[in-house]
Amino acid sequence: MSERMLPWEDLRQAIIVGQAARARELTELALAGGLAPAEFFPNAIVPAMDEVGRRMRDCEFFVPQVLIAARAARTVIDRLRPLLLQDAAAAAAGRVVCCTVQGDLHDIGKNIVAMMLESAGFAIVDLGTDVAPEQLVEAVRRHRPQLLAMSALLTTTMVNMKTAIDALAAARLRSGLKIMVGGAAVTESWARQIGADGYGPDAFAAVALARRLSLIAI
Amino acid sequence: MNGRERILCLLDGGKPDRLPFMPFTMMFAADYAGVLYLDYATDFRAHAEAQFRVVKGYDIDHVSVTSDPCCEASDCGAKVKYFPHQPPAIDEAHPLLSSREQLRGMSAPLPTEAASMRNRLRLIEQLKLGAGAEKLVEGWVEGPCAEAAGLRGLNNLMLDFFDAPEFIFELFDFVTEMALAFGRAQIAAGADLIGVGDAAASLVGPEFYEHFVWPFEQRLIAGLQAAGARTRLHICGNTRPLLAAIGRLGCDIVDLDSLAPLDQARREMGPRQVLLGNLDPVRVLCNGSPESVYAAIAECHRQAGGRFIVGAGCEVPRDTPSNNLLALARYAREHGAA
Ligand code: B12
Repeated sequence: MSERMLPWEDLRQAIIVGQAARARELTELALAGGLAPAEFFPNAIVPAMDEVGRRMRDCEFFVPQVLIAARAARTVIDRLRPLLLQDAAAAAAGRVVCCTVQGDLHDIGKNIVAMMLESAGFAIVDLGTDVAPEQLVEAVRRHRPQLLAMSALLTTTMVNMKTAIDALAAARLRSGLKIMVGGAAVTESWARQIGADGYGPDAFAAVALARRLSLIAI
Repeated sequence: MNGRERILCLLDGGKPDRLPFMPFTMMFAADYAGVLYLDYATDFRAHAEAQFRVVKGYDIDHVSVTSDPCCEASDCGAKVKYFPHQPPAIDEAHPLLSSREQLRGMSAPLPTEAASMRNRLRLIEQLKLGAGAEKLVEGWVEGPCAEAAGLRGLNNLMLDFFDAPEFIFELFDFVTEMALAFGRAQIAAGADLIGVGDAAASLVGPEFYEHFVWPFEQRLIAGLQAAGARTRLHICGNTRPLLAAIGRLGCDIVDLDSLAPLDQARREMGPRQVLLGNLDPVRVLCNGSPESVYAAIAECHRQAGGRFIVGAGCEVPRDTPSNNLLALARYAREHGAA
């Protein structure tokens, strides 16, 4: 494929404005043209979702725009996933288990963070909302993620982040796992206080944080 | 002046003896009265008792029915999760309208017959009977965006704005008519004011708000006023980009969350709009000291200028120290409503 024919700019645009069908179509064309599945992340999906995160932070995008963009990114990723599994060069950026903590049902922020991480090349195991420490321990034991991302929006449920971290430590699963926390109630100092490895104020920051933490995770 | 007279005086353009005080108390009220939250949300007797106690303890000017954001949705048949110590919540994974087509076959429950709505109507009668001469009785309905999210699931609804705009209008129409019927029943039962809670509206951004949400909020507010009630609109979250539009709704009280600056609201809504708020419920009211609460509400008052009601940005958090809420009450008591 010649430089002029490369579909990345169009694909990025389709993702940013949330045109899932168009994004899927461009993906088919690109694959048919011989582009490798692993190239989609650095050239299209990651920069497009970075742009979406920036627009959200700058109040150009709101929740509906972010969710349709994430859905478009997901259609592309779903198409690539079976191919990526066969492609040894495309090792995922890392595996992330994510959840909203026990007692808390707010999931919009967690979903956005999960979709942004997925678009950044991470493999996601989403446990949903109101997740008890025992469930979390079980999931970490089973999926052996590099990263755990926990969300809490209520001051009354923030403390359940600590309970979860303590439960992981008691189950000897804490070392080797990097834990990041966020959500409206959470602050940097709270993250430090409960022994998390990082805090992110928004989905944009969550991706940068996950990239940084996954480099130092073992 | 008693609390009821004080609020009505301000809303009618007069000058009450002091600033009215109208914080939201839900979990705080239940804890204060030693009532299990589940009982508070489902049994009008427990709720009324807790309201009587909390408004007495903190010199609050109104009694309120807010307790269960899923009231209407559960009567429509939505799957609701109940908890002993916190408000009921929609099961987001299993929304009632899992497909959009289901809306066509749906009919709204009758407020006088459906369990949760009927409980609220009896609560209003109880509140009116026990405190109605002295305290303003506040009823409550969910706003179009919040109730639509309750029936369709918030995550689905956000995508529907793009995928099926016509469906959004049909769904908003359905929930607005249901809210009007429920509001009228509450007014008939004795409510002086109907609060409209439209939490999810802060998530959609100014364009969608004006195009989809505003016309229905406006119809609801106007309809409730035509039925003889005052109105209070509360949208949780950051409504900063929506302030000018909210100001055009004609609500008697605009109740702002802490993320929406009062000075900007005053600029964009004009000098006549009654504003209520908007201390940061957690950082200031719950985690601050009586002194910092007092100073922060003074700053809110300064920004709002006249036509102001003392309150927090959202629900008073359950662990708020008693002295902090007393400091808020004291500010209202010590200041005129000029
Ligand atoms: C929508 C909403 C709801 C919906 C939630 C529906 C759903 N499916 O999620 C409903 C109506 C059900 C609800 C219920 C309640 N809510 Co509510 N809700 C909100 C509201 C308006 C918006 C939340 C939201 O979705 N924001 C948009 C997303 C995109 O932002 P976000 O979640 O913060 O996520 C971003 C960042 O924080 C970050 N992030 C999030 N998670 C993570 C994780 C990691 C690892 C990282 C790095 C980053 C990160 O990235 C995200 C994207 O940028 C907020 C107000 C507000 N200002 O936040 C109140 C709010 C969170 N709710 C509040 C309350 C009190 C409640 C209730 C108790 C209310 C009640 N009395 O009924 C219940 C509790 C239910 C429960 N058990 O959880 C309070 C919390 C106060 C407190 N600090 O304790 C708030 C702040 C409102 C207020 N001003 O008081 N709520």
